[in-house]
Amino acid sequence: MTIKTLGDVKIPPVDEILVVGATYSSITESVSSITEAKPTRNWYLVFCMAASVMLLLFSLIGYLFWEGIGIWGNNNPVAWGWPIVNFVFWVGIGHAGTLISAILFLFRQRWRTSINRSAEAMTIFAVICALMFPTIHVGRVWVIYWTLPIPNQMGLWPNFRSPLLWDVFAVSTYFIVSLMFWYVGMIPDLATLRDRAKKRLRKIIFGVLSLGWRGGAKQWKHYELSYLILAGIATPLVLSVHSVVSFDFAVAQLPGWHTTIFPPYFVAGAIFSGFAMVMTLLIIARKVLGLKHLVTIRHLENMNKIILTTSMMVGYAYACEFFIAWYSGNDYESFAFLNRAFGPYAWAYWIMISCNVVVPQIFWSKKLRTSVPVMFVASLLINVGMWFERFVIVVSSLANDFLPSSWGYFRPTIFDLGILFGSFGLFLTMFLLFAKFLPIVAMSEVKGVLPEANPHHPSGHSPHRESVGSITG
Amino acid sequence: MKENILEKTDSLVKERGRGREYWRSLDDLADTPEFKEFLEREFPQGAAEFSDPISRRGFLSIMGASVALAGLSSCRRPVQKILPYVTVPDDLTIGNPEHYATNMPFGLGALGVVVESHEGRPTKIEGNKLHSSTQGRSNIFMQASILDLYDPDRSRAVRGPGGESAWEDFVRFWVSARNGYRDTKGDGLAVICESFRSPTLARLKAEFLKTFPKAKWVTYEPISDERIYDGIELATGDALQPIYSFENAEVILSLESDFLMTEGESIRNSGGFASARRVENENGSMNRLYVVESSYSTTGTMADHRIRLRSSDVHSFTTALAHELIDQGVNIPSAKSAPRTTAGFDSAWLAAVASDLKKAGAKSLVIAGRRQAPETHALVVAINAALKNTNSTVSYVSLTDSSRSDLGAFGELVSDMNNGQIKTLFILGGNPVYNAPVDFDFESALENVSNSVHLSSHNDETSKLCSWHVPRAHYLESWGDVRSYDGSLGICQPLIEPLFGGKSDTEMFSLLATGDSKSGYDVVRDTIKNEVGSIGFENNWRRILHDGLYDGSAYSSTTPSINHSRISAALKKSSAGSTSAAANNLEVVFVSSNTLDGRLANNGWLQELPDSLTKLTWDNAAVISYQTAQELGLKNGDMARLSLGDRELEMPVWIGPGQADYTVMLALGYGRKDIGRVADGVGFDTYKLRSSSAPYFESGASLSKTGESYPLSSSQDHGAMEGRALLLEKTLDEYRQNPHFASEMTETPPLNSLWTEHEYSDKYQWGMAIDLNSCTGCNACVIACQSENNVPIVGKEQVAKGREMHWIRIDRYFSGDVENPQVSHQPVACQHCEMAPCEQVCPVNATMHDKEGLNVMVYNRCIGTRYCSNNCPYKVRRFNYFNLTKDTPEVVKMAMNPEVTVRSRGVMEKCTYCIQRITKAKSTAKLEERDVRDSDFETACQQSCPADAIVFGNIADPNSKVSKVKARNLNYSMLAEFNTRPRTTYQARLKNPNPKLPLTAAAG
Repeated sequence: MTIKTLGDVKIPPVDEILVVGATYSSITESVSSITEAKPTRNWYLVFCMAASVMLLLFSLIGYLFWEGIGIWGNNNPVAWGWPIVNFVFWVGIGHAGTLISAILFLFRQRWRTSINRSAEAMTIFAVICALMFPTIHVGRVWVIYWTLPIPNQMGLWPNFRSPLLWDVFAVSTYFIVSLMFWYVGMIPDLATLRDRAKKRLRKIIFGVLSLGWRGGAKQWKHYELSYLILAGIATPLVLSVHSVVSFDFAVAQLPGWHTTIFPPYFVAGAIFSGFAMVMTLLIIARKVLGLKHLVTIRHLENMNKIILTTSMMVGYAYACEFFIAWYSGNDYESFAFLNRAFGPYAWAYWIMISCNVVVPQIFWSKKLRTSVPVMFVASLLINVGMWFERFVIVVSSLANDFLPSSWGYFRPTIFDLGILFGSFGLFLTMFLLFAKFLPIVAMSEVKGVLPEANPHHPSGHSPHRESVGSITG
Repeated sequence: MKENILEKTDSLVKERGRGREYWRSLDDLADTPEFKEFLEREFPQGAAEFSDPISRRGFLSIMGASVALAGLSSCRRPVQKILPYVTVPDDLTIGNPEHYATNMPFGLGALGVVVESHEGRPTKIEGNKLHSSTQGRSNIFMQASILDLYDPDRSRAVRGPGGESAWEDFVRFWVSARNGYRDTKGDGLAVICESFRSPTLARLKAEFLKTFPKAKWVTYEPISDERIYDGIELATGDALQPIYSFENAEVILSLESDFLMTEGESIRNSGGFASARRVENENGSMNRLYVVESSYSTTGTMADHRIRLRSSDVHSFTTALAHELIDQGVNIPSAKSAPRTTAGFDSAWLAAVASDLKKAGAKSLVIAGRRQAPETHALVVAINAALKNTNSTVSYVSLTDSSRSDLGAFGELVSDMNNGQIKTLFILGGNPVYNAPVDFDFESALENVSNSVHLSSHNDETSKLCSWHVPRAHYLESWGDVRSYDGSLGICQPLIEPLFGGKSDTEMFSLLATGDSKSGYDVVRDTIKNEVGSIGFENNWRRILHDGLYDGSAYSSTTPSINHSRISAALKKSSAGSTSAAANNLEVVFVSSNTLDGRLANNGWLQELPDSLTKLTWDNAAVISYQTAQELGLKNGDMARLSLGDRELEMPVWIGPGQADYTVMLALGYGRKDIGRVADGVGFDTYKLRSSSAPYFESGASLSKTGESYPLSSSQDHGAMEGRALLLEKTLDEYRQNPHFASEMTETPPLNSLWTEHEYSDKYQWGMAIDLNSCTGCNACVIACQSENNVPIVGKEQVAKGREMHWIRIDRYFSGDVENPQVSHQPVACQHCEMAPCEQVCPVNATMHDKEGLNVMVYNRCIGTRYCSNNCPYKVRRFNYFNLTKDTPEVVKMAMNPEVTVRSRGVMEKCTYCIQRITKAKSTAKLEERDVRDSDFETACQQSCPADAIVFGNIADPNSKVSKVKARNLNYSMLAEFNTRPRTTYQARLKNPNPKLPLTAAAG
């Protein structure tokens, strides 16, 4: 596909509400100035808090490596506890970014432009948090590289039948592709920052990062093509990563894990939680960074619609699991699900149901789905609910399995709590650094949805999209 | 050989005293000869330059290298020196363990054991196949006694009135005191010893009393069979040793006797009982066991019919039974005029039991427990005689060379001490300050004694209050001799020099009696020479040492004449009726525990061993019935104040299904203080409630909730099987009607595999069969496995988190009535599935199959994802959440089996089917150019099992024992529908209820 064909694609009429009262220069100015100004006191304050939480995480991990994973609540039978819950939770969050970027890009959902950059960043950071968990959760972290197929003199290979190994490949592939997709998409904006840079250091750094971008037609051609290809690669990955993550459970024979519905159910859940997390972050970002004109209510409302849809998909999966547990006639299976809803972990199960299925139903109302405070609270609750979904799946299934003699109860320790809390610190620190030093909104793309960018717009005179990514605003 | 071990332990002791040695700097490390030698070897040219002061450049570069290398070597595992023997002892091949027979004195008997010794370091204890007390089998105490040997908290020096002292000082003290006492014929001299059965000790005791006729000699055991012997003496005029032949008994009635676990010759009893219970096919017959008891015992769990009865009512039950038997035509003259009450139990039940006993005739057996009164035991002797059981299921031999516990005499001694009549007191073993009845107030009585001497393994409660403390040697460090239950003579030979300078009982007794400090070896040889004669003595001596017993020295049984009038008189005197029980008038029952009577409290294996019934570890609790708990508003873990007379104790409550209503079971042997790192602060000292007037059960107690709660660590929280076909159980009749119920209950649709299956075509295919019908849940296999496979203990908090490391566990399920449920035991270890779910999910192939069907765990490869554990439907995998052996004291490391890897932090472990034993058997067979036979080896659990419930071997050989057991129609695989195809299979449990009595619900 070339730019020519891109141009041939019928660009949907630009809705004015997507971007409010912006011009090329105002967009460049408002986004770039964030990275150019000295950090504000508030930024420092929040950053210090986030970084302290991150340091807490690192010290807890240090203690973990020193003592052993017994400091957590994991036990026998619940050999996987919060670290795996957190892993699935963060991987899930890491979905929306690429989904918003890649899938919506492919479907020409142009409203994505103001949110895709931060959503992608969120993906990268969430996947970093996610990758951390399986790494630190193994008993002997110093030999974790044995999970990689590294040729060695002993001819020892990993076990290719193990879903954990598939996980290693799936998540790392997803991370690499997401990183490339994010970075490639950022190149024109990095060039903008380079061109605006006054200080030498800034010039060098952005000079290197922008890979010599000049905004030439040829460059735009290559750029658009590679972005499209990456979007094409990333899209199936969005579906595959969480499917593979779900195999960790679905392939095991534990009642409550061993179900074929898991791959689509996990993907829906991931999109659901990812959107909720993007929502939480965007609501904060547009307020704090003053991007209300770029991230409009229209964006948020569209996202709420997706949240509502995926919530019902997830709700369907919950119901379907119960149906199959009953319909299969398998005692272990039906026990596992009854135990979920009415057993020792019933509290967690009903938190999950209320947050994930009941709360999103408010978005049927136009008034509520356009109310920022309402959607903020709802997005937080959904994040909580989705964490509990993973908790219910991982812990309640393990705690009461085949032999009643080995049943146990999982109690988290202060270290479980600390490391989960700390992972938010890591995430937030990275996000704050990103928000401060990199273009948080894809300037070049937002310009593309301005009325002026539409060749058929009365005031539009730009026949070619490349002019949108002008060297300076 | 011994010198070397001594040196090693010496240095260990020193090291412990000094603390671990750290190197202070890189220079320290670089200065070692090893490092220099390493440099010389690795950099020969550079090393030459190193010594050449002119080459500055070379010097600097070598310095750089050496510092770098020093840094490197500090990252490595610490280097340990292994010193070779200067002169290798005969018959020793380094790496091949040696086995020695010896005897473990145990109460009024001894257990014949065989000890495995690695280069002079005993590591494992097994039963002695030649010895009838064990027949090659064992129990938890025997298995765990190896850890006691290496207990780092054992006392290490003689302590005199002025502080640390020496054996020689003590000898001087006694020799001078002895001269004084010889003149007064021992007036003011007293000895308290533990019960024993030993020709040498008996001889020395007699010698002592001959020299000091006025001296007092008292034997005291907090938990003893005193009442049994008193009862037999009452009935027959002589305190005879009863020997039970359970293998001959078809109908057994246990009156609160835990003959399978805590009482009498439990190892031998279990073997006999299991052989009469095991059913090979639907035409087989099995014995029937009735149990009457207040608290669930291991024996109770094997009962076909069990009723709950307060301990105080067991006597009236026994008299009622005698009356019932008389009514049915059995002649029991002694019971005719005994008062008859029927309160508290079902008379129809009693009648059915009586007629069943009568029907079985000489193949019946009535056995009463040690808590019951002497007259009950006397009556039981009479009943057995009337049923013609004497010399059929029970026989009597004389109890020679013994010193029996005598609570009355002990009480008299205490009052003498209070009166100031005792000037010098020897306490040889035992711990009366801790375990004497509270009303004796032994502690203050001891203050009136000017010279007190305590021979004890630990500097314990009693030692601390005595003017002298002498460390006591472990039986594996001592020379001694014993008679076992049937009178067989055996020698205790030391496997190792006393690690901490302890003195054996023999040496101490000898010093007391003769005033000479002689070596135990000489003393024992003197005795044995008397026993076996001096002709051919040397040969006999060596034979006895080799075999572990003097073959043919067992006594033949005597047929006692029963003095009915004396029994009758005693029965009339005995208070039959007890006050009616209620929630405010509880009866407490004192039972022994995994710590025995507290003496094994510093043994971590025993503390972490889940109780057979409550599955509690690291604690004792006041066990009450469900109904009693309801009435008192108590639940598991509630702290409650238990008052009995003026005695009070606060302890947690545990609801024990099957406990008689309004009774409280209290395990003895906990709540010890300042003993050692394991025992301290574990559990509650129930001796504080125990009086001399009612040492085994006492009414009038009350329990009240304090409002606090206490964390109890139970290894199994859930007791119901949830209707799953895990542990199959049917009655014998049902089995006869449908011999294939086991396979029908575990029937599965055709099972197909997703991938090519393993072939398993090698000539050895290992498999295990566990007969649930024989298993009594005695836990011997758990400790045996722990000892064989270096399984670490984890402590109470970790057990509460479900992180215990036992490779084999005993699952206990309740079924039927909530108040009096049936209990079933199922030992579960790795099932070695042929299609193992664990193997498929390990990302690094750390667990996989070998060609012989073993599911092997490669510790080195394991990275600790724990996925295998999640996917194991049997949950038998154990994860090292911490470095569990980090704090293991050096001396405890000596108990480790060198043939089994000590696992590091972060790796998964599990049962290996004792792969080290398999490998050894295979290499031996190969050297002898033959195939491995059944008799070549046993797994540790199999070897220990007193009921022979576990069979292991080659399932590829249709003639092997395991193949034959697996061919029985009772055979089934647990969770067969998952196509795991376990190599461990079970044989379904059977019950043989009396058709005249209501069926007790079967599990499954």
